[in-house]
Amino acid sequence: MPLLAPLALAGLVFLPLIVAFYLLRLRRTERTVSSTYLWQQLVRDLEANAPWQRLRRSLLLFLQLLLVAVLVLAAARPFLEHPAGLARDLILVIDASASMGATDVFPDRLTAAKRAAKEVLAGLPADGKVSIVAAAETARVVANEVTDRGRAADLIAGIPLSNASADLGDALKLAGALAARARGAEVLVVTDDASSQVPDVHLAAPVKVITVGRERRNQAIVALAVQTGAGGVKRSLFVSVANLDTQAVTRRLQVLADGAAFTARDLFLDPLTRTDVVIDELPAGAAVVEARLAAVDGSASPADQLTADDAAWAIVPSDRVQRILLVGPGNVYLQNALSLLPNVELYGTSGKDYAATSGLDKFDLIVLDGFLPPTLPDKPILALAPPSTSPLGTVVGTLDGPAIGTISADEPLLHDVDLTRIHIAKAQRIDLPQWARAVIPGPRGAPLLYAGVRDGLVTAVMAFDLHQSDLPLQVAWPILIANLSGELLGRDASTLQPVRPGAPIELLLSPGSGGMRVTAPDGLVTELVPGATGASSVTFVGTGSLGVYRAESIPAAPKPTASGASPNPTPKPTQTPSPGPSGSAGPEAAAFIRFAVDLFDPIESNIAPGDGARLTALGGPPATGSEAGVARDEWWVPVALIVLLLLLVEWTVYERDGARRIRDRLVALLTLQPLRGGRPR
Amino acid sequence: MSAPRPAPAAAEPASRHDLLPSAIDPTVFDEAFLRQLERLMLVTRKAVRGGMKGVRRSAKRGVSVEFADYRNYTMGDDLRTLDWNIYARLEKLFIKLFVEEEDVTVHVLLDASGSMGTGSPDKLLFGKRAAAALAYVGLASYDRVSLAVLQGRVARRYPAVRGTGRIFQVLADLSPVQAAHGPTDLAACARHYASQLTQRGPLILISDLFDDNAERAISELAGTRCELAILHTLSPDELDPPLEGDLKLVDSETGAGVDITADSSTIDAYRARLTAWQVALEAAATKRRAAYVAVPSTLPLADLVFAELRRRRVVA
Repeated sequence: MPLLAPLALAGLVFLPLIVAFYLLRLRRTERTVSSTYLWQQLVRDLEANAPWQRLRRSLLLFLQLLLVAVLVLAAARPFLEHPAGLARDLILVIDASASMGATDVFPDRLTAAKRAAKEVLAGLPADGKVSIVAAAETARVVANEVTDRGRAADLIAGIPLSNASADLGDALKLAGALAARARGAEVLVVTDDASSQVPDVHLAAPVKVITVGRERRNQAIVALAVQTGAGGVKRSLFVSVANLDTQAVTRRLQVLADGAAFTARDLFLDPLTRTDVVIDELPAGAAVVEARLAAVDGSASPADQLTADDAAWAIVPSDRVQRILLVGPGNVYLQNALSLLPNVELYGTSGKDYAATSGLDKFDLIVLDGFLPPTLPDKPILALAPPSTSPLGTVVGTLDGPAIGTISADEPLLHDVDLTRIHIAKAQRIDLPQWARAVIPGPRGAPLLYAGVRDGLVTAVMAFDLHQSDLPLQVAWPILIANLSGELLGRDASTLQPVRPGAPIELLLSPGSGGMRVTAPDGLVTELVPGATGASSVTFVGTGSLGVYRAESIPAAPKPTASGASPNPTPKPTQTPSPGPSGSAGPEAAAFIRFAVDLFDPIESNIAPGDGARLTALGGPPATGSEAGVARDEWWVPVALIVLLLLLVEWTVYERDGARRIRDRLVALLTLQPLRGGRPR
Repeated sequence: MSAPRPAPAAAEPASRHDLLPSAIDPTVFDEAFLRQLERLMLVTRKAVRGGMKGVRRSAKRGVSVEFADYRNYTMGDDLRTLDWNIYARLEKLFIKLFVEEEDVTVHVLLDASGSMGTGSPDKLLFGKRAAAALAYVGLASYDRVSLAVLQGRVARRYPAVRGTGRIFQVLADLSPVQAAHGPTDLAACARHYASQLTQRGPLILISDLFDDNAERAISELAGTRCELAILHTLSPDELDPPLEGDLKLVDSETGAGVDITADSSTIDAYRARLTAWQVALEAAATKRRAAYVAVPSTLPLADLVFAELRRRRVVA
């Protein structure tokens, strides 16, 4: 029997040590007895004073010697060799997507996948290396060329279940890159292969697939949205439930408003269909709506095997009316776009009458259309075609027919805004202020639309007059205005949309805030601080949990006061959030934002397992000339069992008198017999 | 000059209260128990010569109603004992002899060695109770009771008493007896008592017999031609030792130690050895026509006297 650590056999020197301890064991408890007459005879009979005779009769010594011998054998790590079933370099890809949480195998698919992966590691050659890739919302290298199987097993066990859809394509690309480092490497994917999409990737290394999962019993909420009626008062809830099973089931749809049950409906769901439900008249003041799928009492429908998609949340938009003052000669495009915004009252005045306008404090946004007052109001400002240099920007000239530059894909103000068909005839050439970021870049660094926080006030400047562009005639115009109003009024439209698990979300900073504190549904609190001074938003990426997140502003630290200078006090919201907090609201709600993270992925909710053939087809042929390794099976499990058995026997032998007394007492108690003082002769 | 020695325990004045039987055993030495004891008698199989008139057949011929034998008339014989009927038939003078009824001396030997002072309950206390009860049986049957305590190498003999009224004297003699501190040679004590013995009768030895020469002691006492009965007293700790682990057993008399590893097999071996020892003692006693009664110190006194000793024909 070969040994991995033969030096451990040196531990056999403990055997004579134990024998010596038995021989030299002198510590005895003295006990006075009436006479040692019989004991002396007994000792003579047993020849107990002869050491070797005593040792020969000691079962405990024999057991202890045997125990030490087995322990030394275990330390020497005996093993058996057999041909390895895997390559020396193994890239192990474990699918940790939401569908792996299905419970059709005990306890769930991910645990079964981990178990299968650990069993596969036994076939790794003795000098084999394994790299582990976890495929969740992104591919992540968990271990890189690990040779210790125990550590690899621990790392596999530590892979968490994700609530997001897995990107197996990215994971396979990463695995392919890892496999390309060594000749003869192979990729092993442990997945349920439930996604119907075939990753667009081809690997040079061969791909093996182990599939887990048996059934496809799942119903999911695939859409949940709060719709506001035309009057802006009536709100309805839209729920879409998909039955991804091949048999019809009955499920109960429960709707909760701010955690309180609101309504419930039993839905008969046909196989492989979607059922849409509209629930009218949400409770007034409700901020968060939650929909749940539950089993119907007494129904014979099979149980839902994936719980991640059985609940969804939606944020109810604020219903507080906000006031906008439009200052300018009159612009019907602007008026129409602003007036279409929900919960907005639009007021207008001309440039001449602006100076006489009172009550500017009551407005939430001032729109300056081709007009600049001598003193800018202390309010969020949307300026269009500013005629001259001002704190809003330095006008250095004009641009004729400016082309739109490269747009950042992550720009929240351009979300769903299509600028490919926009044409601008003439625009002001304005230098981009330090406090602003270019939303729509123009030629040679001159922005066509920029936004930022100026002295604590959200400000956006459009460099061109609407009449000099066909933008108002495009679909993009009302969307752009809606996005701008979201940022300028503190009404971030992005937070009303469901966020995919694991997807980053841009959170706009309210004026005067030094960051955001985000509380996850599981209570985890994350504090986000903007990376640069004057940044208007922070990015939150910890959206792994499903549910409603709460983001609140962190007040900015007071700036040090320079001598002789009177700092402009940063306006702080004096109102506390309303008792029925809305998903996002005006200044009082700027310090308090909610957003929901929902799965809403019918492809991921379809948990029908595949056979892995299409993934196997993505791999290349086995490398020629690579030698099959030799795998080693260590015998520590049977050795450990033997050690435990020996310990048990030794304890029983050592305590057999006590065990016998306990047994006698128990028997006496159970049979209600009096205990005997002595043994009858 | 040596320091004044303390007065011996036996010489300490005992109050009347301490002499009452209830002071020794308030539970069994009551009036009813004494009445029951009065109905018993220590069994003697052979007629022996006594000292005074009693109720037991004596080896001597004397005056009683029970005819024993004839002998020729000699000058000086009492003419009232002539059998005139035989003279009428044979014309020869014969004297009628009658059985004499005398008392016997009951010898009660109590082992007060150091080993008797151990055990729970105390073996010596049990022995004193048994000695008192058997002494009362003897006193109630008009016998003389001779009490002796075996310690060291001697038998300390107390004056023989007669009559139930002397039971208090017996109790007064027994009460102060304490276990010896040093070793006791049981055979030497038996030899010493045997050398002092002048009148035969029932001899009862109460001892745990923890002595290398126990059989020799039995032999010495049996050699006195008394009717020997041995009450072998052992405590529960000696019958079933509650020992466990690696121990050094220290002898309460000699202080000698024995190293043992008390486990189940050792205790079983001890029990086997104890049984073999008791069997050997019983065989030795039987060989010398002595009665051997093994009694645990937990045995109630009434069970000892009315059951065990009756069964072994020590009392009747």
